[in-house]
Amino acid sequence: MEVFQYVLRKLLAGIPLVLGVTLISFVLIVYFGPDKTYELLGKNPTADEIAEIRSQLGYDQPFVTRYMDYLREIVTLDFGSSESTDEKVSSILARTVPTSIALAIPGFVLGNLLGVVLALVAAYYRGFWVDKFIMGFAAVGMSISFLIAIIGFQILFSSSDGLDLLPVRGWDMSTPLQYIRYVTVPTLATVFVALGYNTRFYRAVIVEEMTRDHVRTARAFGVPPVQLFYRNILKNSMIPIVTRIMFSIPVIVISGSLLLESYFGIPGVGKVTYDAIVTGDQPILKAVVVLTAVLFVIAQLLADICYRVVDPRVSLK
Amino acid sequence: MASTENNALLSVRDLVVEFETDQGVLRAVDGVSFDIHPGETLGLVGESGCGKTVTGLSMLGLVPSPPGRIASGSIMFDGSDLVSMDETGLREIRGSQISMIFQEPMTALNPVFRIGSQMRDVLQRHQKLTRRQAHSTAIEMLAKVGIPEPAGRVDDYPHQLSGGMRQRVMIAMALSCGPKLLVADEPTTALDVTTQAQVLEQVVRLQKEFGMAMILITHDLGVVAETCQQAVVMYCGRIVERSSIEALFASPRHPYTAGLLASIPRVTDERQEVLPVIPGMVPDLLHLPQGCAFAERCSRVRDRCRQKSPRLELLQSTQTSVACYEPNA
Ligand SMILES: Nc1ncnc2c1ncn2[C@@H]1O[C@H](COP(=O)(O)OP(=O)(O)O)[C@@H](O)[C@H]1O
Ligand code: SF4
Ligand SMILES: [Mg+2]
Repeated sequence: MEVFQYVLRKLLAGIPLVLGVTLISFVLIVYFGPDKTYELLGKNPTADEIAEIRSQLGYDQPFVTRYMDYLREIVTLDFGSSESTDEKVSSILARTVPTSIALAIPGFVLGNLLGVVLALVAAYYRGFWVDKFIMGFAAVGMSISFLIAIIGFQILFSSSDGLDLLPVRGWDMSTPLQYIRYVTVPTLATVFVALGYNTRFYRAVIVEEMTRDHVRTARAFGVPPVQLFYRNILKNSMIPIVTRIMFSIPVIVISGSLLLESYFGIPGVGKVTYDAIVTGDQPILKAVVVLTAVLFVIAQLLADICYRVVDPRVSLK
Repeated sequence: MASTENNALLSVRDLVVEFETDQGVLRAVDGVSFDIHPGETLGLVGESGCGKTVTGLSMLGLVPSPPGRIASGSIMFDGSDLVSMDETGLREIRGSQISMIFQEPMTALNPVFRIGSQMRDVLQRHQKLTRRQAHSTAIEMLAKVGIPEPAGRVDDYPHQLSGGMRQRVMIAMALSCGPKLLVADEPTTALDVTTQAQVLEQVVRLQKEFGMAMILITHDLGVVAETCQQAVVMYCGRIVERSSIEALFASPRHPYTAGLLASIPRVTDERQEVLPVIPGMVPDLLHLPQGCAFAERCSRVRDRCRQKSPRLELLQSTQTSVACYEPNA
């Protein structure tokens, strides 16, 4: 019950953020966005024709009215149709969002899970060769750009110069096997790069936790190493780790899927957005911007609830 | 205090603890020796940084390593040497035979577990109690250290308790398995003055009740006077004076001890006079002068003091050992 009220309160508190984003996107994309009047008119239009088209497009309405129309579109999830394909935006999203999620999740989960595991091992053997090896690997992942990693893995797995095992572009998740064939290479590239950053960060967090007073106390009471690692070090490290994971969600969704989808020719939201930016497809851009803001609010909410789970000092009040 | 006595509970001999630092090897504890008998209280005194905590941690094999290590010496406890004992053996002893409580009550407990869970863990591990037995023992122990409503408090998280209460929880946890030796590292320093007195009183009362020996680490000689039978005064990692409390307060032999005593405010004094402080600064452990480390601050310093460090020697016809060429009469 307490959690339910909290979620409700947080969602309400997220409304101003979403409103702010809609206002900005309205001003930039719609109000001062491309003017379609002359696209729709023939040569040498008369002043009357211009005025008529403008009124059809709603351009003659005052700012507030137009903004309200825009908000109504958002609330009813009716974003209109794509200007280039005429497909309804809602059906475009229904088609592409699941693809993007299926593409992003394996890399996201593995990148964090492996990051924590490798960081634990490195922290435990800190200063020894295991630590140096892991951190060297992380440094490579961190210094190689995402693009290079993508191209490298494509050559390795999907070209005649490499193993030539997996498809280089495209997407199919009609069967689990097909899904694995298509998701593997993008996932490897994501994990490789994500591990670089994650491992370093998580190792620093864990090493710091290892030097805390409560760890010394636990040892002074004979706590064996495995329990010390789990109850004292890992459980306390989860607080900064959860923070990082939660804040990385929107970044992954936006930048990760944009790059991955365009380089692997995968028809996800990222690809659609990229194309919409290139062609100036307003209805799609409006939808994506607003949905991203909503995603931020939800990620924030999830983060707060996760904090409560890992840290009893945080109250949901 | 003779080193040949073998009925001591704990015998520390020539303990040397070193830290590997960027600027070289730092010797935090240098040749420390003392004995504690069952039920006895020994005060370990000295200014901040003189090696008290490191000495205390050595008793549980807890010198942070790396960078630290016990370079030499022995710590005989109940017939076995803790210095050469392996981790498994030490884990059996930690919290059951020898317990330690720390200076920082605010951070010493695990913030993400209830205090009851942390206390039960110790009891279930060392005493092989069931969860239910451990729970009721935990509540009993909380009651013993003066925590009101222990049955409710046992389910609190550390952050729900004040510093004084947290230190009581630490004490309850430390005593829960009936250890033979308690190492109390400045247990009241971080608390406010009224709480300090209450917590200290509690420790001393429980120590008598449990018949434990205790090493009470403090920088406050006044506390030592009230609670200890013996005192060891440290300076720059070395023992400068070791004696019974009566002898120490009646006639401090080492100029440093004398200086510390002179700087304790006395309630019996009619006027509040300006207390003398020992002039000068504690030398850097990485760059100790040749000879006596106290020489720069000592009013009795002679030429030979600067040539070779004085050894800790038993003064004739007394029970006091002192490391000084020119001890007070
Ligand atoms: N982890 C450590 N690394 C390096 N030096 C340390 C460490 N712990 C303690 N020391 C050094 O050992 C000396 C004694 O410290 P400590 O025993 O904590 O002093 P005290 O408890 O008497 O205030 C100090 O000079 C300190 O710099
Ligand atoms: S040995 Fe010399 S310098 Fe050191 S305390 Fe004694 S008199 Fe002072
Ligand atoms: Mg200390």
